[in-house]
Amino acid sequence: MSPPSGPRGLPGRVGALLVRRPSANEPEGLSLPLSLLVLLGPAAFLVWFFFYPLGSVFATGVSVARVSRILGDSYYRRIIAFTIEQAFLSTVLAVLMGLPGAYLLARYEFLGKRFVRALTTVPFVLPSIIVVLGFVRFFGNNGVLNRALMAVFDLDEPPLRVLYSLKAILLAHAFYNFPICVRIVSAVWSRLRPSTEEAARSLGAHGMRLFWRVTLPQILPGILSAAALIFIFCLLSFAVVLVLGGGPRYSTVEVEVYRLAKLSVDLQSASALAFVGSLISLGFLYLYIRLQSRASFGEELSGAGELPRLRTLLRRPAGVLFLLYLGMMTLVVLAPMATVVAYSFQARTGWNLRTVSLEWYRRILEAGGPYLRAVLNSLFFAALTVLFSLPLGTLLAYVAARTRMRGRQVLEALMMLPIGISSVILGLGYLKAFRSLPGLGDRLQGSWYAIVLAHTVIAYPFVIRAAGAMFRKIKPSLVEAARSLGAGPWRVFWRLELPLARSALVTGAAFAFGISVGEINATLMLYNARLTTIPVMIYRLIGSYNFIGACAMGSVLMAFCFLAFMIIDRAGEEV
Amino acid sequence: MGLRLQRVLKLYSDFRLELDFEVRPGELLTLLGPSGCGKTTTLRIVAGFISPDRGEILMGGRRIDGLPPHRRGIGIVFQDYALFPHLSVADNVAFGPHMQGWSRARSAARVEELLGLVSLGGYGRRKVTHLSGGEQQRVALARALAPNPKLLLLDEPLSALDAKLRQGLRGEIRRIQRELGLTTVYVTHDQEEALALADRIAVMRDGRIEQIDAPRDLYRRPRSLFVASFLGQANLVPARVAGREGERVIVDTPLGRFRVAAGGEGCGQDASGADPVPGAPLTLFFRPEGCDLQQSGNPREGGRKGPNRVRALIRRIEYLGSRQLLEVEAAGLRLTLDLPGRDSFAVGEGVCFGVPPERCCLLER
Repeated sequence: MSPPSGPRGLPGRVGALLVRRPSANEPEGLSLPLSLLVLLGPAAFLVWFFFYPLGSVFATGVSVARVSRILGDSYYRRIIAFTIEQAFLSTVLAVLMGLPGAYLLARYEFLGKRFVRALTTVPFVLPSIIVVLGFVRFFGNNGVLNRALMAVFDLDEPPLRVLYSLKAILLAHAFYNFPICVRIVSAVWSRLRPSTEEAARSLGAHGMRLFWRVTLPQILPGILSAAALIFIFCLLSFAVVLVLGGGPRYSTVEVEVYRLAKLSVDLQSASALAFVGSLISLGFLYLYIRLQSRASFGEELSGAGELPRLRTLLRRPAGVLFLLYLGMMTLVVLAPMATVVAYSFQARTGWNLRTVSLEWYRRILEAGGPYLRAVLNSLFFAALTVLFSLPLGTLLAYVAARTRMRGRQVLEALMMLPIGISSVILGLGYLKAFRSLPGLGDRLQGSWYAIVLAHTVIAYPFVIRAAGAMFRKIKPSLVEAARSLGAGPWRVFWRLELPLARSALVTGAAFAFGISVGEINATLMLYNARLTTIPVMIYRLIGSYNFIGACAMGSVLMAFCFLAFMIIDRAGEEV
Repeated sequence: MGLRLQRVLKLYSDFRLELDFEVRPGELLTLLGPSGCGKTTTLRIVAGFISPDRGEILMGGRRIDGLPPHRRGIGIVFQDYALFPHLSVADNVAFGPHMQGWSRARSAARVEELLGLVSLGGYGRRKVTHLSGGEQQRVALARALAPNPKLLLLDEPLSALDAKLRQGLRGEIRRIQRELGLTTVYVTHDQEEALALADRIAVMRDGRIEQIDAPRDLYRRPRSLFVASFLGQANLVPARVAGREGERVIVDTPLGRFRVAAGGEGCGQDASGADPVPGAPLTLFFRPEGCDLQQSGNPREGGRKGPNRVRALIRRIEYLGSRQLLEVEAAGLRLTLDLPGRDSFAVGEGVCFGVPPERCCLLER
């Protein structure tokens, strides 16, 4: 679940990949020697670039003395408590915001429903740094909302002061994550059999009682599953806390690990804290997977009947509230993004004077300038990340889907482990692990391939998820037909399974691209001035209060993410 | 090319499959049986998708059980057709030839030929996902035949189609199979399909083959209660051997004394063909359509004349147009009579019918 920056994929399938569904009448599958042979390359890669760095963090961090020093220190205890507290509050807020939307999507038909549904994927593809930027520009003291309120009510002071506080963190997390709740819960809700509610109604239940006694118990697994996922995202959230928290008072484990490692250069304390943090996040990931397997994501009911039109809600006062909600929420998702884009077309002409201008885009495109360099770096890293993570994820997904090996579940859990490890900690691992290697250490830190390798490790589980789901969907009889027609296992893979999984691979590639292009956590740990990426550049521009520049870079980043979003949306239609 | 399974054994935790049978060269053998009897598993063992724990599989006298599926030269038509959705009709059919390394021109000619054979000429460029069920079925057949397999396996190939289409296609499958003289194993649970298509039928039950015979022999001379009652409708009456009278065995049943032809059409008294032991408990079996209604107007008169006369009471009538099924009761037993539709009957009426000795069988209980 790690990169809260960058796309995080459709959560419904995370568990599905970790917990294998048994299927009857399976094809013969890959034999053990063949599985091991195929696994050889990917396993070597993961051992070297994931398990070894992670292990070296834990090897430093895990000593009774260090962990107990961390746990005994009231400062770190407060940070751990705050991490969990803010995640819990953010989750409650996001779920409450999401439930009405889930209801509307599940139970009503309306114009633009497809659009609204597509909007719920935004949290998965929108880099967190954009959320931060949009939040600052929209809700900030000098933001759109405050200035609108000041203009309307003729105030001298900005009425809403939310930045650099717990409020800011909670609101940003809630706005960022509530679409996840809408998405998961509406999926579960729309698959409820209407007959259970009809039966309850015929027995005399209606209104809230119907909801509490009949509907809620059925959608509860979906709500808990969404909540657990949001909780994990907020637990591992980095950029939002780093910028909107505004200081040590509102620091979480992630941010503190970053500060310790990068600013205080206290790698030992960072490692110990990272270890404690990883235990917490892996524990909640495990909880999520358990909850996930209980939520039923069964087949879409074909006999669900036609949904009522949304405008029938207008007849009831409560219904009007629902409509207001729908408008508000769409605005909440779109407004920060729109603000970023709108703000990017400005230029300062003097104190508090602005004009519409392409000034910043000119500066970004300036040949040899630092901004163009950041854009090119980002594209370069993203392209290589796709190049590496696609074969890695595809091979792993293929073995996981087809092997006859025992302990497949353990294998899959190991493959998906990077999802439960924060990428700040991964970056820390790279700093630690490869420093101790003579020669390579100095070169790896601050070298382009360290960033590419980290991005690959962060991105490949999403390739596994897309490709694995597809490999499992291929009917065993197709493979058998090809075999009976004279194709050996190798040719079956190249001529049948790979072409059939093509749209899934496109989705996986788009995810990998989007993740890499928006990644900030590990990048911040590993970059140097030459290797600045777009998100890092945005972070630095925000730090120097250059919001127009940040918004221009943000718009460029959003354009790339939008591209990935469109590809995923398209491919999703085909699958 | 013939196929032979010799003492093939496959064990599962809850199921045991034992196979020992032969498919003669050029023959169409259907594997018939209720679901879960092991038909499809048998097919998958022959195809090489499941390896048996013991035994040998021979094709044309050569052992094939060590070969992987793609080296066996066996064509398969799957229940769900398993057409490759990313390939066109022609590319689906050309897949096998391509795997065999045929030249482009030769593959193309073969595709043309086969699409013609299954009456889909000109369909080559279509997407398989845009075809109807029947058309997909034909493409699946053409694809299986394209690389010149030595054996064709069909796994309930018509089960996904509606009744009318099924009849047409099964005639077509039969025609093509005859034309090519291709040894074929056809799995089905539809008895009518099995009877209409097969040179021989193998009836399976619980992982074993109960009986293999030509459809006619299987229907008339079932060798077990299971085959008798699984295929068509059967009247089964407990019987006990009373003695012998020339070519006929005499049995006592609740319906009275019955004479059963020992040779001829009547099935064997027991597996070895030896004379039945007096007093041995058996089951008397006759088909509903094997019964003749007594012609005389008064049932009382002819009631005890001629062999195997039974008086019964009509309990239920199912009128089917050309035929009618009468459910009757005699001596506390329910029997079914299959009679021409022209006569009129009424529920509660008495009726007298006879079963000619040559249409009776004795089965072991």
